[in-house]
Amino acid sequence: MMKWKDRGTTKNLQEVILGRCYSYVMARYPELGDKDCLKIWESLKHAFIYKNPCNITSEDYEPLMELATHPIPCNKSLLWSKTSDVVHRYTKSNQNFLTLEDTLLGYMADRVSWCGDPSDPGINYESCPKRSECESNPSSVFWKMASKLFAEAACGVVQVMLNGSVEAGAFRSSSIFGSIEIFNLNPDKVSEVHIWLMHDIGGPQSESCSGHSIKRLKSILEERNFKITCVDNYRPVQLLQCVHNPDHTDCRLCTNTTATP
Amino acid sequence: MMKSLFSSVVLVSVLFMNSFSEVQGGKWKGEGTTQNLESIVIGRCYDYIRIVNPAVGEKNCSAIWEAFKNAFINKDPCNILPDDYELFINLSFHTIPPNKSLFWENNQLLVNSFAGRGRRYMSLADTLFGFVADYLTWCGQANSTGLDYESCPTMEECENNAVESFWRKASATYAQHSSGVIHVLLNGSVVGGAYPEPGFFADYEIPNLQKDKVSRIVIWVVDDIEGPDIESCGTHTVKILENRLKTLGYDVTCTDNYKSVMFLLCLDYPDDSKCALSSSVFSVDGSLLSDGPFTDMGTI
Repeated sequence: MMKWKDRGTTKNLQEVILGRCYSYVMARYPELGDKDCLKIWESLKHAFIYKNPCNITSEDYEPLMELATHPIPCNKSLLWSKTSDVVHRYTKSNQNFLTLEDTLLGYMADRVSWCGDPSDPGINYESCPKRSECESNPSSVFWKMASKLFAEAACGVVQVMLNGSVEAGAFRSSSIFGSIEIFNLNPDKVSEVHIWLMHDIGGPQSESCSGHSIKRLKSILEERNFKITCVDNYRPVQLLQCVHNPDHTDCRLCTNTTATP
Repeated sequence: MMKSLFSSVVLVSVLFMNSFSEVQGGKWKGEGTTQNLESIVIGRCYDYIRIVNPAVGEKNCSAIWEAFKNAFINKDPCNILPDDYELFINLSFHTIPPNKSLFWENNQLLVNSFAGRGRRYMSLADTLFGFVADYLTWCGQANSTGLDYESCPTMEECENNAVESFWRKASATYAQHSSGVIHVLLNGSVVGGAYPEPGFFADYEIPNLQKDKVSRIVIWVVDDIEGPDIESCGTHTVKILENRLKTLGYDVTCTDNYKSVMFLLCLDYPDDSKCALSSSVFSVDGSLLSDGPFTDMGTI
């Protein structure tokens, strides 16, 4: 079995994936009742089992993508970059928006890893390749493809949550958002892109809506005929950040009806 | 004569049959067992030990499912008792870190969000034994090893049903193993009272708290943002709760509208005056409300 630098396939992957698939379909979105979770698991397994994990292609994942993708209601797509923690806390608390990880495909794959190996049993539980070891690894190919399809499925207003406290800039062309998602939004379906530029509470304000990388993002999107708006510290998300920083000066409430414990 | 006899026989037969078939063919008034229950329970068990909280170590998820199932299958669905889940609890049990217990009444979604999937607090739904069953329904039938997917008894039909007994056992276990500072989140806008009696907290949790392990009990009474302020600390049922706990010998504090939780409630009402941040200068749609420290904002 080949040796790699990243963590290996999640143990009991089959049970986890099946359980999540049924949970998602039965308990969360019963209208997706036609999804065959067993077939979905089989198509995921066949995408990588017994294969060299540096040689994975999007064709390998096509059957899975076909079975597991589903339509997204308009105006609900929420893209993100460098805001993983807060964006997912937001969608869990407010069911108005969906990130990729809130769709069936993303929900099943989130925080789970997998890769194959040509020798028996065909699955490598010890280690899997990092992106730096090879680009065409099962994880990178999966997320790139799923992100592309998620962007393609978006309609109406699309929201994007970016991090204005990151030194390297809120918008980077090397991110999945910057290299895949913005180029797969369909101008015939998507009317506007709303950017929410968040700063960490008490964190540096490295960039704001008029910043350099945002201007670059704006020109890329406008060239594709999207209308763009940008808001610094979109209030509902800032309120969420304040849950964990209630006493910070940025989280002072106007009214005096609250008390600290 | 023959015709009217025949008609009465038909009539009697129809009435006879009707008294056996309930609405839509289901015996009970509640929702039936969740589809694919076994796969969901086993999948969630592995999800928990491999991903959500690997610190609990290795657990036998198949055995956990078997113990769970055996608590209620092949029995009268109205005669399932909390201790029927004893083996399930023994197999799925793990310690609860001190100061992380979070009890609640009438605010389940809020607690889920606030606990942060066990990172800030560990509510019952963030333990392995609560996680596998959360939001699911199940019941069996007498004289059959099958699950009933059509319907399950409601509380009104019988109290000793599979789901109710499960949560009674799980709640008691959770309380028994809670330690340090205990938190209770109550809803101050509920008509029945923030501290309901009867209720899970009143009947299955408080009686199982261990005095020698609990250092303090912190009560948070939070009103819905646009809801009425029906109860607060020191009033009505909250007063009853505070007195009960003090009489039992606990060190008790109570806070109204604890800020952290308020912020969470504010997500759905960002423009409500209760939710206005003094540093924030924009309305939710990004339009400028007033001049402020952030000068280069707005539509680009």
